[in-house]
Amino acid sequence: MQRPVASFPLAPSLKVKLINAGFQTTNDLVDLRPLQLSKEVGITHEEAVEVLQTLRCDSQTAQERASGGSFTALQLLQQEQTLGTIVTFCSELDSVLGGGLPVGKTTEICGAPGIGKTQLCIQLAVDVQIPVCFGGLGGQAVYIDTEGSFLIQRAVDIAQAAVDHCSLLADDAEQRKSLKEFTVEKILSNLFLIRCHDYVELLAEIYLLPEFLAQHPDVRLVVIDSIAFPFRHDFEDLSQRTRLLNGLAQQLIQMATKHSVAVVLTNQMTTKVWRGQSKLVPALGESWGHAATQRLILHWEGSKRLASLYKSPSQMEATVQYQITGEGFRDVPHSGPSRSHDDDSCNDTSGNYCKRPRVEGTQS
Amino acid sequence: MDWEQLELNPRIIAAVKRASLKSVKDILSLSGPDLQRLTHLSKTDVQHLHTVVAVAYRKTPPITALQLYRGEHPSLEQGRLLSLSCPVLDALLRGGLPLCGITELAGESAAGKTQFGLQLCLSVQYPQDYGGLGSGAVYICTEDSFPIKRLRQLTSQLSRLRPEVPQAVSRGISFTDNIYIEHTADLGALQTCISQRLPILLSRGLVRLIVIDSVAALFRAEFQAGEAAERARHLLALSSTLHRLSHSYCTPVLCINQVTDVIDGSNPGRCDYGLVDSKVLPALGMAWANQVMVRLMLRRLEGQIRKGDQDSAPRRLEVVFAPHLPQASCLCGVWLEGVRGIAEEDPSIQFQTSI
Repeated sequence: MQRPVASFPLAPSLKVKLINAGFQTTNDLVDLRPLQLSKEVGITHEEAVEVLQTLRCDSQTAQERASGGSFTALQLLQQEQTLGTIVTFCSELDSVLGGGLPVGKTTEICGAPGIGKTQLCIQLAVDVQIPVCFGGLGGQAVYIDTEGSFLIQRAVDIAQAAVDHCSLLADDAEQRKSLKEFTVEKILSNLFLIRCHDYVELLAEIYLLPEFLAQHPDVRLVVIDSIAFPFRHDFEDLSQRTRLLNGLAQQLIQMATKHSVAVVLTNQMTTKVWRGQSKLVPALGESWGHAATQRLILHWEGSKRLASLYKSPSQMEATVQYQITGEGFRDVPHSGPSRSHDDDSCNDTSGNYCKRPRVEGTQS
Repeated sequence: MDWEQLELNPRIIAAVKRASLKSVKDILSLSGPDLQRLTHLSKTDVQHLHTVVAVAYRKTPPITALQLYRGEHPSLEQGRLLSLSCPVLDALLRGGLPLCGITELAGESAAGKTQFGLQLCLSVQYPQDYGGLGSGAVYICTEDSFPIKRLRQLTSQLSRLRPEVPQAVSRGISFTDNIYIEHTADLGALQTCISQRLPILLSRGLVRLIVIDSVAALFRAEFQAGEAAERARHLLALSSTLHRLSHSYCTPVLCINQVTDVIDGSNPGRCDYGLVDSKVLPALGMAWANQVMVRLMLRRLEGQIRKGDQDSAPRRLEVVFAPHLPQASCLCGVWLEGVRGIAEEDPSIQFQTSI
């Protein structure tokens, strides 16, 4: 609520006092108690009560119109279903996540270096743009790169593979028409990149993001790759780090619900020694574990890459296998183990080329 | 920070000064309610203050990936790579080393890691048309003394390694003059070198490549087994300095690393990057691995390969992880003129024994 104080039916002397004390819009006043207000502005208690009542009466009608009111569970369910999900191109992971990555929620992806966190992020940034007639969201993506590991060649590979995939699926006129729009160039132009070099730059970008999202209402995905990198450098004071991270998580959750975007954060792993046993745990400490709504952990098991849904309010915990191919983040073909190599001469016409068995490469 | 420079109401500026907030960092690190408490400003004012300060601090507004792809953004020189002076190795790395970020080359002793480092020091000096960056290199030795004889040999054989480069081009470069050699015997000296001497060389444009041979030597020597946390802290400090240099001067950093033996038995604290058959893994653990963008491994294999009248032990260069590369590998050999990858079915190479 941004209605200026001057526009309310209050005594002019009161208005002047309020404005002089720095209260300019309804927003500044709604959270205050009468006693606080009377102290801050230097008016009597009665006057303060009167001001707040006038304000609240007026804002209540406005609030009923706006989204701030309360919902029934059914309304929430319907709302969530209309938001949709972002597919990952790994059908097993999609079914574990309940159809893909949920829009309007925050998801954290943790994993050791090289496991494929960045690959999954780039894949999602491309997949969020799949046209609506192909079952996608037709949205845009914001990619905040803090590590410098977003390499454009890779984004082009993945975008090209997604375009090829859709062109194999296209069979009616509408899909063929939308395919003309769905090109690699188009995908790249709908992918907004922000490069942050340290945590202060990241904080600055997060303050500016709501405005950017308001200007670009089609953005359905915000990626921060990675949240850990800037916050694990140059930090002596760990309590300040926890405070900043909590604030950041709060802002991101607000952003996710308000602008209906999926927020994806990646996190590094760290070695924790406990009772003489060492194990790998997500970085940034225990309290950060509460930050994201969903937590997905990517890890190796032998030469297999596995994704485990570790925390989710709506889905079962489960572990599935995936692979990183030349085309991106994909299912593992069911006939035996495989590994991606330079055998990406993809000329399969069946449409699900990601499921064809791959030839075992040089390293066996 | 001079607050008057910002587009802010004088009332807000006065409040910020009264709260003795010194820098942009202070303001951005404070949440809205905290800032309200400190400055006694209203919620709207604080929101406005945050936005204005964030805009002032931001270096570049968001760009689209298409702009980056078309190279419309000069400050982010992406797509350009530093060639390794060998088409087979370049093909494995899709053109060479990325300019921004840390590339690690791990391997056992005598695998040929230093040879790669030396070769890169030479190839960085070629002009852009020939895969270089037209500038010198810094070579930081922490283990042995710099192999100056080998460098001379490589320099004299450059015409054999790079026959495609015209004589006039390579004659114009005095290769050995552009390699700055540093010897650092302990961590303190390494930090001083990186944080004080390197920025001078980089800002004058004298170098566009940093090679550290090796990162593991100092860290393994100076810390006991029980000092893992302390070691991780120093590793982070080193890598964050290297990151900053690499990104602000668009300069590739090659860190040579040692390996550790894999002790049998499952260990949930070990990450083997899918290298199941490998008996060794890169040293320095997860704290270092998180800082590396491209991780390469070099292995010496059994047997002998022969090319013309030269023999070499075969090696395998393997991509362990990289954001833009698949896990793949290629064979290579170390010859008089330098390191060369071996394409499959290369007729000039004879395998003497099975590999």
